[in-house]
Amino acid sequence: MTSWSSPSASARLAKRYARERRFKALGLGAILISLAFLALLLVTMTANGIGGLNLEFLSGSDSTDAATAGIWGALKGSLLTMAVTLGLSFPTGVLAAVYLEEFAPRSRWVDWVEVTINNLAAVPSIIFGLLGLAVFINTMGMPRSSALVGGVTLALMTMPVIIIAGRNAIKAVPPSIRDAALAVGASKVQTVFDHVIPLALPGILTGTIIGMARALGETAPLLMIGMRAFIATPAGGITDPTSVLPMQIFLWSDEIDQAFVRNTSAAILVLLAFLLAMNGLAIYLRNKFETRW
Amino acid sequence: MSANILLFCLAAFGLIGWLTARAKAGRLNTGKGVLHSLPTYHAWHQALWIVLPALLGWAIWEMISPGLILSAVLASPDAAILPAGEMERNAILSEAFGIVGNPGAVAFNPLAEKLVTVIAPVTAKFNWIGAAIVMLLAFCGGAFGFTRLKARFPARARVEFLVLTLLLAASCFAILTTLGIIVSLLFETWQFFNMVSPIDFLFGLHWNPQDGAGPEVSKTFGAVPLFWGTIFIGAIIAMIVAIPLGLMSAIYLTQYASAKVRKWVKPLLEILAGVPTVVYGYFAALTVAPMVRDLAKFIGMDNPSTESALAAGLVMGVMIIPFVSSMADDSIAAVPQAMRDGSLAMGATPSETIKRVLIPAALPGIVAGVMLAISRAIGETMIVVMAAGATANLSANPFASMTTVTYQIVQLLTGDQEFNSAKTLSAFALGLVLFIVTLILNIIALRVVKRFREAYD
Repeated sequence: MTSWSSPSASARLAKRYARERRFKALGLGAILISLAFLALLLVTMTANGIGGLNLEFLSGSDSTDAATAGIWGALKGSLLTMAVTLGLSFPTGVLAAVYLEEFAPRSRWVDWVEVTINNLAAVPSIIFGLLGLAVFINTMGMPRSSALVGGVTLALMTMPVIIIAGRNAIKAVPPSIRDAALAVGASKVQTVFDHVIPLALPGILTGTIIGMARALGETAPLLMIGMRAFIATPAGGITDPTSVLPMQIFLWSDEIDQAFVRNTSAAILVLLAFLLAMNGLAIYLRNKFETRW
Repeated sequence: MSANILLFCLAAFGLIGWLTARAKAGRLNTGKGVLHSLPTYHAWHQALWIVLPALLGWAIWEMISPGLILSAVLASPDAAILPAGEMERNAILSEAFGIVGNPGAVAFNPLAEKLVTVIAPVTAKFNWIGAAIVMLLAFCGGAFGFTRLKARFPARARVEFLVLTLLLAASCFAILTTLGIIVSLLFETWQFFNMVSPIDFLFGLHWNPQDGAGPEVSKTFGAVPLFWGTIFIGAIIAMIVAIPLGLMSAIYLTQYASAKVRKWVKPLLEILAGVPTVVYGYFAALTVAPMVRDLAKFIGMDNPSTESALAAGLVMGVMIIPFVSSMADDSIAAVPQAMRDGSLAMGATPSETIKRVLIPAALPGIVAGVMLAISRAIGETMIVVMAAGATANLSANPFASMTTVTYQIVQLLTGDQEFNSAKTLSAFALGLVLFIVTLILNIIALRVVKRFREAYD
């Protein structure tokens, strides 16, 4: 039997500890590499784009001349598209979540709906673009490259996200709340709409904001529905052809003129600022209203 | 009467009904237990009876009125000026209707301009008729609803039934969307396979899409180079980056980092998942691709291309890191604490515990997470569009320009706008392949995750 203090044992131990340190350093290294990449990305964009951020850039529209091109037309298009997306996906998403969590009987049909929703959340975004092109534009004749068709397409993409977040938020409301409401004579519908939904709302809103942030940064499905045109005037309504922020970035990135690098990076900064604000709001809402039961 | 005014009238009418019904129901409430439902429910019942039949009638009218207007226009004596040929006739008619709908437009065809004077009054007349029908329906519905307003009337049950129907309808949207995707992809793909043989498409090695039909054209749609490019970029290069980095950061964050570090680093890592793909694509094209090209020059390749599979794959891998990391995090957290404690108690170091106990136990979950990550990577579009290149290339050289399924879908559908050509239709066939592959990956992965969770619960 070797003793713990024998040279061979302590050498083995030292080797194991060294391996332990190497492993730990490897983990730290992985995190640092990932964060360094993020930092490099942000620094590159800021260095290229910060000089282009001024009032003229924020209030102008697309132009063939890099010096006069601005972001307002695309920003307005993004806001219109997001309004359509929110208006469609929020009510249907919340109602569907309420149905599945509170009213749905355990049946094969409901299982199907659940499987479908989970899969829909993982379908590549470009497939939604193909759906938008084939159904909304070619079959239903909605105006090409408008905020309307873009918003509807993105709404289909956002809806599963809202349903999943909504279901989790509703699931987190304890049964005692429902029992209490039912015990004083409220109907099932009254219980859900007057007690469960208000309590689940912060969670639902957090999920909605995150889904909307994803939709705001989405480009591929919008490429499919023709939002690739050069549009020099901001859209007046949801049926006018328009561009959106990520699409403007994509269009400018294709320009050969080197001056557009600044515009593209500045537009990326604007987009990232919006996304950061939305995610910040989501985190704030979660921290402020989250109740631990 | 424009649609907005009509909508406003309907809303106002509904509001009046709501208020009246509530007031009346309130008066009916004479004592304890007389009223079956709260006054608000009677109010909603009344308002819904006003609005819903009217909206339904409006929708039906919108469907039938264009036909009525057209036949009325054609029946008018002025329509005799139209040429007899069906094509010309339809062109002029559609131009004239376009001008009526949009007063700013100018007519190219003088006949169309003449027709406008015929169509405009007819359209106006039918709009008035439609508005009258809608308001009449609102009134009738409202009157019927009002007759049912009695103390014993179960208004709540009726309103709640409608609410439940609405909930059920909302939950069917997901099914409808999936059906819409499947049907539209299948339909267009079927049309494509009428022109190009599926065997050539799925197994052909040569991708250079040409329009037309026949065996020669069929040979230009060999999609294997695209499948290879997609797998090489999304499932090989990106995963070589994402799996070690994602797994190691998850291990460090869950096993080594203090709570404070975790609280700060985890959201930072998740920012990587929140950056829009177009930004990654631009970064790949602007910064990473030149670096990769310099690297290729450095190791002695002559004339490397700026667009390379490596640049796209690297950036895509970084994008996937937080995804792999959070999946690994979940599955490591699902391993029972007793297993970890047992290993540590036997004298294993933390890293030995992780390597020999935690990771083997969490492996099904990690593999499922990697499958989900692959399905996300192969469906990713903007990074490859901006950094990977357009040439179909069947090579294993990461510095070569390579194209992917998603790149080609974008390429084929944003060029020419003729819809029923083999070229545009092939994009839907590619989309169908992508959909099926990601669907299979997702279903298997979700099933594995579920079974894995049950095993330790």
